[in-house]
Amino acid sequence: MSATIGVDRAPSVGASVRGLLRRAVRLREIQLLLAIAVVVALSAIAHPNFVSPGNISFMLADSVVTAVLATGQTIVVLAKGIDLSVAPILGIAAVVVGFPAQNHNLPILPAVGIVVVVGLVLGVGNGIFVSVSRIPPIIATLATLSVYGGLQFIIANGQEIVNIPNAYDALGNNDVVSGIPWILVIGVGIAVVVALFLRHTNLGRSIYAVGNNADAAHRSGIRVQRVIFLTYVLSGLLAGIAGLLYLCHTGSADSTTGTDSNVNLTSIAATLIGGTTLTGGRGGVVGSVIGAVFLSVALTAMVFARIPAIWEPAGVGLLILLAMVTDRHSSNLAARAHRHRQAGP
Amino acid sequence: MSQAHRRTVQDSRPRTPSVEADSGGEPSPGTPASGSTRYVVSHVSKAFNGAAVLHDVSAVFEPGQVHSLVGENGAGKSTLFKIMGGVYHPDAGELALGGERLSDLTPRSAMQKGVYLVPQEPTLMGHLSAAENLYVGTLPRRRLGFVVDWSRIHREAASYFERVGLDVDVETPARELSIAQQQLLECARALVHNCRVIMFDESTSPLTSHETEILFDLMRALRDEGLALGFISHRLDEVFEVSDHVTVLRDGRMVASAGRDEITRDELVTAMIGRPIGVRTRVRRTSDVTDRREVLRVDGLSSHSVFEDVSFSLTKHEVAGLAGLVGSGRTEIAETIFGLRRADAGEVFLEGEKLEHRTPRRCIDAGLIYLPEDRGRNGIFPDVDLTRNVTAGVIPGLPLRWGLISAAREEEEARESVARTSVRASSLGASINTLSGGNQQRAMFSRWLLAEPRVAIFDEPTRGVDIGAKDDIYDIISDLATSGLACLLISSDLEELALTCDRVLVIYEGRIVGEVRDEEVTTARLGELVVGGARP
Amino acid sequence: MATAAPRTELRPSPSAGSRGDPRRRDRNWVLALVVLLVAEVLYFSVTVSGFFGNGTGLLALTEQFLDIGAIALGLSVVILAGEIDLSAGTMSSFAGIVMAVLWRDGMEIWLAVVVALLLSAAVGAVNGLITTFFKVDSLLVTLAMQFILGSVATALGGASPPYGFPSSFVTIAGTGTVGPIPNQLIVFAVLAIVVSLLVGRTRVGRSLALIGYNRPAARYSGIRVNRTIVGAFVVSGLMAGIGGILVSGLYNAARNDIGDSLLLPGITVVVLGGVDIFGGKGRISGVIVATFVLGFLTEGLLVAGDSSLSATMVTGILLLVALAFKIGLDRRGGVDVVAVVRRRLRRIPVAGEPS
Repeated sequence: MSATIGVDRAPSVGASVRGLLRRAVRLREIQLLLAIAVVVALSAIAHPNFVSPGNISFMLADSVVTAVLATGQTIVVLAKGIDLSVAPILGIAAVVVGFPAQNHNLPILPAVGIVVVVGLVLGVGNGIFVSVSRIPPIIATLATLSVYGGLQFIIANGQEIVNIPNAYDALGNNDVVSGIPWILVIGVGIAVVVALFLRHTNLGRSIYAVGNNADAAHRSGIRVQRVIFLTYVLSGLLAGIAGLLYLCHTGSADSTTGTDSNVNLTSIAATLIGGTTLTGGRGGVVGSVIGAVFLSVALTAMVFARIPAIWEPAGVGLLILLAMVTDRHSSNLAARAHRHRQAGP
Repeated sequence: MSQAHRRTVQDSRPRTPSVEADSGGEPSPGTPASGSTRYVVSHVSKAFNGAAVLHDVSAVFEPGQVHSLVGENGAGKSTLFKIMGGVYHPDAGELALGGERLSDLTPRSAMQKGVYLVPQEPTLMGHLSAAENLYVGTLPRRRLGFVVDWSRIHREAASYFERVGLDVDVETPARELSIAQQQLLECARALVHNCRVIMFDESTSPLTSHETEILFDLMRALRDEGLALGFISHRLDEVFEVSDHVTVLRDGRMVASAGRDEITRDELVTAMIGRPIGVRTRVRRTSDVTDRREVLRVDGLSSHSVFEDVSFSLTKHEVAGLAGLVGSGRTEIAETIFGLRRADAGEVFLEGEKLEHRTPRRCIDAGLIYLPEDRGRNGIFPDVDLTRNVTAGVIPGLPLRWGLISAAREEEEARESVARTSVRASSLGASINTLSGGNQQRAMFSRWLLAEPRVAIFDEPTRGVDIGAKDDIYDIISDLATSGLACLLISSDLEELALTCDRVLVIYEGRIVGEVRDEEVTTARLGELVVGGARP
Repeated sequence: MATAAPRTELRPSPSAGSRGDPRRRDRNWVLALVVLLVAEVLYFSVTVSGFFGNGTGLLALTEQFLDIGAIALGLSVVILAGEIDLSAGTMSSFAGIVMAVLWRDGMEIWLAVVVALLLSAAVGAVNGLITTFFKVDSLLVTLAMQFILGSVATALGGASPPYGFPSSFVTIAGTGTVGPIPNQLIVFAVLAIVVSLLVGRTRVGRSLALIGYNRPAARYSGIRVNRTIVGAFVVSGLMAGIGGILVSGLYNAARNDIGDSLLLPGITVVVLGGVDIFGGKGRISGVIVATFVLGFLTEGLLVAGDSSLSATMVTGILLLVALAFKIGLDRRGGVDVVAVVRRRLRRIPVAGEPS
């Protein structure tokens, strides 16, 4: 060969473009951290209690359930899917272990085993409908949302869980060391494991590949439908674990747990606010976790500002819209830069 | 057209000879296919939905050779490559690589066995890095454990990039690469997996001649290393330039197969279309027409970093050409005139009246139409019947009865329009994707004839159309011009422009760099200008 | 839609299976639904006492699900254009609450209805404008809107939303009848005819379907894509609003809790009616028939004594089964199956074809 084709002639230009890009990739996370800082600062001025160690610890702990759900949602969305059934999966997991825990003092270890199995089974259900029956994910999971919701209703049978054993409560509300609750440690642990999985394993990279271009992924030898199937299984698994964490944290569960607190919306909101796009293949778990923290901080700030709780869903909805519109703006910029570069032969 | 681009063209002239990075020592995740890598296709047949696409085709791809497949559209060339690459399964016949019979081939097993198909349009993962794209699906892992070895990926990717002459950072997201770079990346992918057979399916059609040369250099180098290469191109010049062996397919059958030096261009064309082709005479417009009123005037049209200060005018009865390389801004200019893109500056006048706030709808209503380049994406409505496809451009003018669309009269209009361009279809209710490429394009002409245009821009009207239908389309354009339409014909096919145009504007890097008319319109002259050759 | 399942399409034109006349294929699906509807009504009439009720009982049952039909009609317009409206259910609650609150505060009831419907249409327009102007996936815009509207409706309605509307309203929009025919059925019939004609026989409807089939090609053909899509969301908002008024009339009370439960059956009806969730394909006649298929199924189960929640589960299961079946047909290439069905059906005269 006698010639090469390069993007940019001067390497220094290339390096600076790369640097810019890298910064752009991190931009969403940085934006979010800044937004959190602003909300915290404003609230702290009005209500100094907002930054008390107790409240900070409370807000972080409160975001864990959403963060774990969002972690699963992120996996699905990265592969260009969506899971609208995480709410009843969380609910079913909570009631399935909640009743034996309340009535028969079920120890915590078997409870973990049970929620894992419940999450896996329900996730497998979604996976079958999406990757075997090839039903569009939004429709498939909207349908399982109602099927699983009905299942939860039947399992709960009109009963409520109000008392959980101490071991559960300790897991949900006690601190490891002062100011750092167990639940936060667990949440961070899960997020780190999933982040490493997505970045450093072949399966994790395959999820990105499928989301980027399913056809090319297939040509590269990736079993596309199997990967998609697994994303729903993982999402189900994480939703099941989130169900246990929810039970431990709130100490209660009933036939509409999950659905009534809109965890579908909050998990999607955290994912999107965190910079993962519905078009697939772009984003990651770190952003989603920060997104969950942001939601928790923002909603707590609403409480401090004495905004009635009924406006919470509206607040989350507005934040989704805001995240989408700003992302659109930045991707417009990226596209323009892209065109600019592509104009070459 | 950006500044960056301009530099690219000048700077990427023969530079660092970057081959000869040793090809032996690299570790590879693929299973090395060793020994003889003769790829033998014997008696392969394939049908889709009962329609035979390939019938009893045999071919041998020898190591150290470039073997080209030629034939008209629909002859089965791509299908054969896809069968060889494991995308389709043959209905009958056998594939054998180096004596080993290949059965139940998938793209994955084909790659593992050393066969790689570079598809028509590179299909990469846009948001993943160029390096990851090389290995995706089989990312190398660290010794002990399941963790992906990123440093090794980046290190090795760099050496493969050097070998294929791809000068980009390994961490560049793939979507930022140009088409040519993506092609090279696909080649590097084949090498990463130690493939000994690489097939290029029309890889050169989106490339400029300069980029094509770079790809050909790589292909020759790989051939000399003993790889077996397959190549499909519609440009016979390219086929003769790079091939060692040529096989001609017609209607799914192999009609000729010979070494490059054993067959002449005329013999090849005769084999392709099944009849000797007459020397095509120039379908020149009648230059004795007196009515030469100006219909369209474009004044100083600019779009930042795409094209600049484009001015020209069209008169009645005229067919003007717009020549330029892919990426020179031709399509963008047309789309800006038609209101699909915003202009930064400049104006468009139709019969002296300024077209303000141009949108496609306003342009169509004013009598300006645009036939898009990419028929599949921007032209046809797949799975929609012919009638609704043909009337899609004139929805605001559909005949009404009591405020509702009159199906009978709509069909009548469609029928008349379809007859004018002699679309062949089983019925007006047939969905358009059951028609051949040529008939789909005729239907697109019907659509725009219904709008009764005064000015028409045709962007690559004969792309994806077989040779027979091409002549018909030239006739349609010629008839339209005779009836008074002002036509602008955008094409990469210089011969086509020379055949059909009264004059040709040449665009280079977003600027009109020349205009040739009448007897000056020759392929040679146009060829000089489109690559930025000096003006006379 | 952007959330489409990344299907690997390796065969040439997977939809080419359904060769020939695409309109006829849609018609066949509608015919299959009619057969299903007849079978279902016969089954429940025979097995569930009190279902048929000399025919009037059957007619009266329709009041229970025509609100869903109205929402589905609006949704199908949006889905035909290749978008989705997840706010349709909550929009119904919103419209009902707005109407009720305005009436409680002294506004004439019919004027309140008009204002509520105008507001619904306006919110639909906001959905459409955000979707087209910012090019955001409508899935997200309407998901967000669903929750915003939910909060607004709850806040407006307060702890005990108004109830006990004037009898003129309850008669016309609610439980009144003309002879044996419920007024709601008449309202629905009018809506169904209007939407059928709008989609099937007007210029706007034509643009809508073509946008759903191939949006870039629609742009290149001079179709005003954004304007049409905003219009589709306005129709969806309006129809959801009408659905909300019908619900309020039926219960003689505004409900802020009922809207969410209407979305899933609404989407189920649209999809069951044969409208392609990715846009383009489908006809309103299918959606109309599907309204009754799902409605009578749900009511049949309820009359038979199953709880409302298990009926919701059945809706979900029906949606999954119908889609799995339809997608399976399409993937099989469809040629054989559709051809066989067509040959058999050709002897039956084509019924129920408003467009």
